[in-house]
Amino acid sequence: MSVLLVSKWAALAGLAVCVAGLGLRWRRSMERARPRDLAPARGSGMAGVVYAFSAGMMPWAKESTRRHWAAYMRGIGFHVGIFAGLPLLAASPWWGLLPHAVRLGLGTMLGLGAVLGAAGIVMRLSEPILRALSTADDFAAIVLVSAFLALEAAALASAAWMPAMYLAAGIVLAYIPLGKIRHCLYFFFARAFFGQFVGRRAVIHPHASGASPATLAGETRQ
Amino acid sequence: MSDMVKTALRVFEQQLGRPLEAALEVCARCGVCAEACHYFQAEPSVENTPVARGEALRRVYRAEHDLLARIAPWWVGAKKLDEASLARLAETAFSRCTLCRRCTFNCPLGVDTPLMMRAVRAMATAAGVAPEILMMLADAAIEKGRSPELFRDMFIEQMVDLEPELRRATGNRHARLSVERMGAHVLYVPLAGVHTILPPAIIFTAAGEDWTLSLFEAANYGVFLADPVRAKQIAARIVDEAKRLGVEEVVLAECGHAYAALRWEAPIWFGETFPFRVVSLVEKIDTYLAQGRLNLDPRAIRERVTYHDSCNMARSGGVIEEPRRVLRAIAPDFVEMTPNRHEALCCGGGGGLVALPEYEELRLRAGKPKADQVRRTGARTVVAACENCRLQMGDLNRHYGLEVEISALADLVVRAMRPAEPNDEPVPVRAEAIAA
Repeated sequence: MSVLLVSKWAALAGLAVCVAGLGLRWRRSMERARPRDLAPARGSGMAGVVYAFSAGMMPWAKESTRRHWAAYMRGIGFHVGIFAGLPLLAASPWWGLLPHAVRLGLGTMLGLGAVLGAAGIVMRLSEPILRALSTADDFAAIVLVSAFLALEAAALASAAWMPAMYLAAGIVLAYIPLGKIRHCLYFFFARAFFGQFVGRRAVIHPHASGASPATLAGETRQ
Repeated sequence: MSDMVKTALRVFEQQLGRPLEAALEVCARCGVCAEACHYFQAEPSVENTPVARGEALRRVYRAEHDLLARIAPWWVGAKKLDEASLARLAETAFSRCTLCRRCTFNCPLGVDTPLMMRAVRAMATAAGVAPEILMMLADAAIEKGRSPELFRDMFIEQMVDLEPELRRATGNRHARLSVERMGAHVLYVPLAGVHTILPPAIIFTAAGEDWTLSLFEAANYGVFLADPVRAKQIAARIVDEAKRLGVEEVVLAECGHAYAALRWEAPIWFGETFPFRVVSLVEKIDTYLAQGRLNLDPRAIRERVTYHDSCNMARSGGVIEEPRRVLRAIAPDFVEMTPNRHEALCCGGGGGLVALPEYEELRLRAGKPKADQVRRTGARTVVAACENCRLQMGDLNRHYGLEVEISALADLVVRAMRPAEPNDEPVPVRAEAIAA
């Protein structure tokens, strides 16, 4: 059995652990109670959810990200690299069909993601507050993912790196449900809850007409 | 494990619904939330960051629910709860977080740190380590609901004594302060004190509203304790009263947490949608203005005025533009603080902090960013539609020498009312009887 084949099996095993682990977590989360909001809405919960996943994620949408836009964009760049890296990993058996220039372009993008991830390690070590708050899990997560992105970038440039990439992918995928990286699952819950909150209560999306909810509720002059 | 810790953990498990689990799991510890917090702005340190506060509960959560924590707790920063850590958690949740939600709005992931702090408050309350004053205030309110007959007559007498002033202010010789009148359209729920009764009464009368006064006050200290049983019992006084009187609308005094509690939370506690609307007095005044029911002088308030957004009213309630429309109608020199609306800074008095004298010094220090913000506006009057905010702003005013007047919106509206001629306008009354 070749090294490449063994590494591919390792990646598949990691994927199985990841899917099973996240699946179990998803099921457990869905079993947990979520009180039904029975207060009459002022606005649209759905509009709030759309906002939370779109305009609300823009760097100018929040004071914190306006103030720390460089750090935020570093994080966004890192995560764009991850979201590009995983489907590209799934498509790796067909990389040979891609023109070399395209592979280099994709590799550069993933490499940039890896660099931005590594910058996160530097930030965690250099900023006293982040250093105080960080656990070993934080460092492990960011090192594993950055290494995977770097190896995937290298594998796009040269097939010699393929076994290392698959092995790294297997480790990262297996680690996802166990460590901090599983926040990828809870991100969708947390943003959806936030969106429903601000939407239903019309905090972010006030009524377009500008009329007060009491007026809109149908009160007329007696 | 002591009984106290067992109780706290039992309550934690009860609180651990999907939203709390998401808040505990999703944080990436990026630290972006730090500067959103007024405690951190006032005194930058690790313990003043929202992420550190949340992390204190996450350690406990991981110790109970994380697979890796069972093998290597240090790897994920897990820590079993004990009496000392419970006391520290409680201290943090009651003194270093006003539940203002500013961190949540500034978090790229939407981590609901106030939800975590509420879970800690619930654990502390059940375990008996919550601030005693809050428990006493909540229990006193519940007791009042059980025996209203003890003070009903005295309260009605006090209201009758206020009627001459109401008649003088409105020019209406028939103006009355009816208490718990059956069939009224509006039930107004004040706070403790005449200052939250007379100005709204003048406004209701001037607007020709068919209204009556609640026997109870809107404040709900059960909310600060994050105790749904106490909170529901306190809210039940008003809910039952409104149902019994058959009102169509409950109007709450200018009180942030009371609004968030009865408008948004109470239907969850009761498991029902109420058969009446719940609105804030601020919304009601805005409605009267839109309907042309108040005769206000648009240049009445000559001094510069600014508005402080109560976190519960704005960020947790969506009452954002209503007070601004009212202020623009009466105060030509109305200016905004920066930042404002859903990005407004907390004054530092929320979450029950103003009721806790042991944290006064900390509260005043944490209010400095708000004091600086007020000073920058150059305003002489600061309007806040929340009693706790007004109390805190008053303290900040004295402590930092701001030399401003702190006012409720209703007070300013009454100031802007054109003098009324004596009149015999009938006061709208659907049923004449005043409940005895």
